[in-house]
Amino acid sequence: MSTPKSRARKQLTILLGPVTLFLGIFFAGPLGIMLVFSLLEPGLYGGVEWNFYHWNYGRLLGWADGLIEEFDPIYLQVFGRSFRLALITVALSLIICYPAAYWVSRSPDKWKGFCIFLITLPFFASLIVRLYAWLLILRPTGFLNHVLTSLGLVAEPLDLLFSRTAVLIGMVYIFVPFMFLPIYASIEKLDMSLVEASKDLGASTFQTFRRIIVPLTLPGIVGGSIIVFIPSLGNFIVPDLLGGAKVVMIGNLIEQQFLYARNWPFGAALSMLLMAAVLVFLLVYITSVSRQQASETIRA
Amino acid sequence: MKTNIKSFARAAIVTITLSVAALLSTTAYPAGKLNVYNWGDYINPEVLTRFSEEFDVEVTLDTYASNEEMLAKIQAGATGYDLIFPSVHMHDILYKLDLLEKTDIYKHPDFKNIDPQALRAKTDPKGEYCLPYAWGSVGILYNKEKVQDIKSWADFFAIPEKTGEKIIVLDDMRETIGIGLIVNGKSVNSRSKEDLKLARDFLLEQKPKISAFSYESPPLVMAGDVAAAHMFVGVMFLVMQDPEKLGFVIPEEGATMYQEDICVLKSAPNKGNAKKFLEFYLRPENPALNVQQQMNGTPNIPAIALLPDELKNNKIINPPADVMSRLQIFEDLGADLKLYDRIWTKVRTAQ
Repeated sequence: MSTPKSRARKQLTILLGPVTLFLGIFFAGPLGIMLVFSLLEPGLYGGVEWNFYHWNYGRLLGWADGLIEEFDPIYLQVFGRSFRLALITVALSLIICYPAAYWVSRSPDKWKGFCIFLITLPFFASLIVRLYAWLLILRPTGFLNHVLTSLGLVAEPLDLLFSRTAVLIGMVYIFVPFMFLPIYASIEKLDMSLVEASKDLGASTFQTFRRIIVPLTLPGIVGGSIIVFIPSLGNFIVPDLLGGAKVVMIGNLIEQQFLYARNWPFGAALSMLLMAAVLVFLLVYITSVSRQQASETIRA
Repeated sequence: MKTNIKSFARAAIVTITLSVAALLSTTAYPAGKLNVYNWGDYINPEVLTRFSEEFDVEVTLDTYASNEEMLAKIQAGATGYDLIFPSVHMHDILYKLDLLEKTDIYKHPDFKNIDPQALRAKTDPKGEYCLPYAWGSVGILYNKEKVQDIKSWADFFAIPEKTGEKIIVLDDMRETIGIGLIVNGKSVNSRSKEDLKLARDFLLEQKPKISAFSYESPPLVMAGDVAAAHMFVGVMFLVMQDPEKLGFVIPEEGATMYQEDICVLKSAPNKGNAKKFLEFYLRPENPALNVQQQMNGTPNIPAIALLPDELKNNKIINPPADVMSRLQIFEDLGADLKLYDRIWTKVRTAQ
């Protein structure tokens, strides 16, 4: 006879076995390969030579591999720029999504379903096609400028194509649904009687928002921010198409190393650094958020 | 790389498979197969259809967007492809990696049609492996309503300051660093740090004037959103449709050229049909048919005579000797490619 304990263990094995196996083979395996490759010498035409080679990480920090000229932390600059773009994307989509999600969650049920449908509608078309559409909208002879000039709102066509504004519009456009859905889910669950109680006890609207609504919907904000942050960090299609590829992002850099530069180990090293940076960043973010949450609870 | 479709393909990583024979609604089942792996939009589908009909072979076409993409796929062990169309420097690399099948195509009587100058691959000087396929220059496409008299790289980079219009250069490491080398009178295959520093400094100086690095420029130039763009000669198909509005020029300082060769892979499952295709493509009427759709140069000399006058006498597609002497072709740089990579990142990162 199996004891309840051993039955539980068996159950756990059955439930978690497949996912562990899957991640072990398709996630940990490639990760291990990348780690090893990042310490090897690049092969002349792609691939690797099985010799230990420490230059990949040195080059990443700016040392010039004894090749062209001086120390130049050019790759770290690319990292910094990608992080900045990702953070701005998170902030902008949060500002746009929070009020919208609040409004949708407070509207009648028949509207809710329709609004969620509208938010997910873009997923029905390919990302590339939608970004090309933005190219057509934003260009000087494009749709936006036609509308603005014919309404007399601007005298000269706006010069948005291949600008930083265009990149931000594109990034926020892509990631809005990813921010909206988690926030919506947590606002939906928000107990309105707590909000009413706060008002009854004399709190101002701002106080209620800051002390009651935000802490209670924090899981949605954190979740949405993470889901937007990570893919926007690796995104390079938007800066390429709408920004004119004038700025290299981490994503381009890695692609460049694996294809045109035929330097797999350096590409692997870049990927490892990216992963490490994301991990550290998320750890800091989550601990600071949960600490803040804890102190809010104590104060309340 | 040869067409504006390039990054559509690159970004979407979509492989379009076109079964030419299946489209023909042939009643009989084709006797054999030929799997072609070529650049996107780099062969007239009519050529494949003709081959398919004449030899009763089912032809499939897969496409790639860069030499490196193709190499990566072959190196990763992709089998099933018979014919590939590498650029000359990639032809050399494939030879060094022992991926090419010896075809002895040079022994065929029709090989006399091929311009001996077109045997550009250093590892295959006689044509024992591959057949020169097509070539073209990389120059400047411009909108005549926005700018006039573009003759040189100097004119091109002066556009933004003179007129306030936009310019686009290719999002291509070798091509764009190539401009920097050419304007400094250096070889586009230079391995000298000093030469490359000159090229880098030139490009850094131009960077603020460049609106974008892109392969997608032709529609923007046509619409007038962009005045001029660094582009492959294949864009002549647009220029010839609207010569009042569009112009293409091979810059005075010099320019790069490209050439692709047709090669049979060592791993090809249908080597017999692949060799038949090389022989088929030696016959002048076939490259002539291809040029009429592709608007690029052919190494098959009798084929040029078969072209309609506007193509035969076109100085961009079939440039005179003095222009030809200003064109440079890329060579494989081996490990020195790292120098270019570093500069390219620097140029792209500068603000």
